Amino acid sequence: MPQSAEHILDHVDLFRQPEYKEMLENKRTNFENPVADAEVGRVRDWTKTWEYREKNFSREALTVNPAKACQPLGAVFAAVGFEGTLPFVHGSQGCVAYYRSHFSRHFKEPASCVSSSMTEDAAVFGGLKNLVDGLANSYSLYKPKMISVSTTCMAEVIGDDLNAFIKSAKDEGSVPRDFDVPYAHTPAFVGSHVTGYDNVLKGILEHFWDGKSGTERPLERQAGDKINFIGGFDGYTVGNLREIKRIFDVMGVDYTILSDNSDVWDTPADGEFRMYDGGTTLEDTANALHAKATISMQQFCTEKTADYIAGKGQEVVSFNHPVGVAATDKFIRELARLTGKPIPDSIKKERGRLIDAIADSSAHIHGKRFAVYGDPDLTLGLAGFLMELGAEPVHVLATNGGKTWEAKMEELFASSPFGKNCHAYAGKDLWHMRSLLFTEPVDFVIGNTYGKYLERDTGTPLIRIGFPIFDRHHHHRYPVWGYQGGLNVLVWILDRIFEALDAHTNVAAKTDYSYDIIR
Amino acid sequence: MILLARESPMSTLAGKIQDVFSEPGCDKNQGKSEKERKKGCTKQLKPGAAAGGCAFDGAKIALQPIVDVAHLVHGPIACEGNSWDNRGAKSSGPQLYRTGFTTDIGEHDVVFGGEKRLYRSIKEIIEKYDPPAVFVYQTCVPAMIGDDIGAVCKAATERLGKPVIPINSPGFVGPKNLGNKLAGEALLDYVIGTEEPAETTPYDINIIGEYNLAGELWQVKPLLDELGIRVLACISGDARYHEVASSHRARAAMMVCSKAMINVARKMEERYQIPYFEGSFYGIGDMSDALREIARLLVERGAPGDLQDRTEALIVREEARAWERLAPYKERLAGKRVLLITGGVKSWSVVAALQEVGLDIVGTSVKKSTREDKERIKELMGDDAHMIDDLAPRDMYKMLKEARADIMLSGGRSQFVALKAKMPWLDINQERHHAYAGYDGMVELVAEINKALFNPIWNQVRKAAPWDEVSWEQVADRAIAAEAALPSAPLAPAAE
Repeated sequence: MPQSAEHILDHVDLFRQPEYKEMLENKRTNFENPVADAEVGRVRDWTKTWEYREKNFSREALTVNPAKACQPLGAVFAAVGFEGTLPFVHGSQGCVAYYRSHFSRHFKEPASCVSSSMTEDAAVFGGLKNLVDGLANSYSLYKPKMISVSTTCMAEVIGDDLNAFIKSAKDEGSVPRDFDVPYAHTPAFVGSHVTGYDNVLKGILEHFWDGKSGTERPLERQAGDKINFIGGFDGYTVGNLREIKRIFDVMGVDYTILSDNSDVWDTPADGEFRMYDGGTTLEDTANALHAKATISMQQFCTEKTADYIAGKGQEVVSFNHPVGVAATDKFIRELARLTGKPIPDSIKKERGRLIDAIADSSAHIHGKRFAVYGDPDLTLGLAGFLMELGAEPVHVLATNGGKTWEAKMEELFASSPFGKNCHAYAGKDLWHMRSLLFTEPVDFVIGNTYGKYLERDTGTPLIRIGFPIFDRHHHHRYPVWGYQGGLNVLVWILDRIFEALDAHTNVAAKTDYSYDIIR
Repeated sequence: MILLARESPMSTLAGKIQDVFSEPGCDKNQGKSEKERKKGCTKQLKPGAAAGGCAFDGAKIALQPIVDVAHLVHGPIACEGNSWDNRGAKSSGPQLYRTGFTTDIGEHDVVFGGEKRLYRSIKEIIEKYDPPAVFVYQTCVPAMIGDDIGAVCKAATERLGKPVIPINSPGFVGPKNLGNKLAGEALLDYVIGTEEPAETTPYDINIIGEYNLAGELWQVKPLLDELGIRVLACISGDARYHEVASSHRARAAMMVCSKAMINVARKMEERYQIPYFEGSFYGIGDMSDALREIARLLVERGAPGDLQDRTEALIVREEARAWERLAPYKERLAGKRVLLITGGVKSWSVVAALQEVGLDIVGTSVKKSTREDKERIKELMGDDAHMIDDLAPRDMYKMLKEARADIMLSGGRSQFVALKAKMPWLDINQERHHAYAGYDGMVELVAEINKALFNPIWNQVRKAAPWDEVSWEQVADRAIAAEAALPSAPLAPAAE
């Protein structure tokens, strides 16, 4: 046998041993009613054709390999960005386990989040009792400063009324009467994680600004000089928010980051478990009403929130996940305009350095064809940057993108000669992308971890940018915003280009005449 | 003094250098007085100024493209550590030339001498790699302590039964170009003529001074193959030891890089009666001329006369094909201004090539060019040709700004200055990854220039930051004015 008690092989090696190979082959031949290899090959090749693509794109009901997540996931993401806040998901607990594992796998951090653990009884009789008990238990067990309630589909389908339920829970003494319990309805069957982010953020602001569900007088806005900043649902939140704070500090801007989850997704290993860390203080959240203006980095993550804030009399400036020189220029200029602060020399130098870096490497990216998929704002930001680099974002796909996104993307394509023959695919999934990559091949695909199947099937090298990234570690610690962030994205793209070139040239005594030290 | 105690290695080296300096194949050298000639043909390096590579580097890059040889650098880690596999000379077979061999001498060797370590290193290479030959490169430290690599190589050749060739070109003897020539001398002394080819034909040629950078030789070789012309030896791109060793049986030779290996071409003519001409594979016209010259020399040496007819037919076909492929670019590139910062033969051969597609050459560097090179430039660009000699980075910056060129073509080290001056740039030196030789190479070069010119980053680079009131031209003007106001100091020569 290939292994013994002294020598245990893991799955990577064990099933390659002759005994196992033989066993698996016998199993296949004798018990699995196998299809001949030639037939498998024929069908596989057929899935690469235009004919198959047309059938694939005429799919009406089925989604295959979606590049989006659900509202409640975004809800939890927004909630943990507030000081001492426990996300409480009213609904079934299985869903909550998903959000927790999803975030843990991406950020490599514990993700604290509770559910009201609704069961069949609750589905029939309503979830009130679960919410009342749940709030009481989580309040006494986890000592939060605030509990942010969102929902899963189960609670939404039966129509649980969070506002009434939370009042009842307070009446029954689950939590003190003045304890903050903002809420938002976040059904997964509407929108995606970016919608959930939007709803929860708006719910929290409404709670503080509009009199805490009728228990206090609404706040009166006293316009001040501070700037609110909203990052949106962002896999790079740890690096990005730290970078944004640095930029604000360098410029001397007085700011409030709304939903600052950069610390809770990056806690130190120093012997202390931090269920909560950092976050926007509740006081700052309330006072954010008085800010001069609000900046949203991701328009499609904050559609309702932005309208709500604007309705309070603030100027709201929204971006689409700005990456690169021109997009960051716009962001920095708006910041300077809103605050009246000059752009410091150190930021100007950072800009020059990014341009320098792009110019140094321009020849390697110029003319390369890319496919990009991800959230609506991210894809806009990346497509813009690619065109700035002289690359062509040939296929840009957002499963959670709608008509507005598609129109905005087409407009972006039209703004540059590198956008010619590029197309936006709203509401399509990664199986559509597979057809695109086979019928109209590109040099590289940019997307999240799930893109590795596309990479394997189509041979298109994957550049991992997006959410979630499960199979590479710690990229979330690096910013992709600001000039420094642009540099990071540039380096990731270049790294993959060079890796692909090396892999293409590294066969000893065959192609290694081009396997060079200097690239 | 150790040096005096062991007089032979250094004194023969000095003699060799004098020999190289009095190169009769170099017309520039022949115009000098005896005293001037003694001083050498290369400018003295200015202490404290940014300078190019050393003689060791020159020798190494000239010979390293011989791909099946083990190249052993005798010296401390600096010499091989910094130069290991740093050129894009391609091999169609063996990769041994890319393995970094060095004696990596330490303090103990410096005190007691490094010869034993060198011998043991050679022995280990032969035992473990069994190459057809070992090339041993001398460097400054062992040269100064008096290690006699000639004697070690001789002993190793005798005892180990393999050619072990000393390349006596320690860094301190001079610049890179001298090293190229000393490397050529080593080939002449120890390699060329030591073996015989399996067969000879009336169509055998040598190509001297072509290093197959980015695989450029391979853009030319199919055409030679088609004409039935055999490259007996390319010195040294993609060469095998045996080819170089038996290269004395060639019927004619083409010398490509005029400054590097002229001594090899001239002495082979002297010793083996192999006539040579100087030519270039860059540009459509030059490529055709090179093919014509090769055919002419071969026919003169007895090859059947139809070779010339076949060559002309091939030229007609290939030129037409190249022009056809270039046509789409001409409109886009017409009137674009190009500044060339490169060396030697490329200063004129590329000029002609670029003019062919309608580019306007606003200046070319002549730092490494011979007088003949300069004459050719004048022929091509007219008397008012903007020839740039020594160019310090800040002068280059000024030049770029004044020339208002659209693109600069240069080597890797000038690249970064160009970028600071916000100038599009294309690499045409050794670290490039695109091959520009022959008809195909010209199309490739133009395609690359087209790409570089229209890269969107240049718009970004040239535009002022959106919050700046001043343009980059104004910034550059101010920098130049500020410099002009400074008391003039002797300018440093440009980093090459």
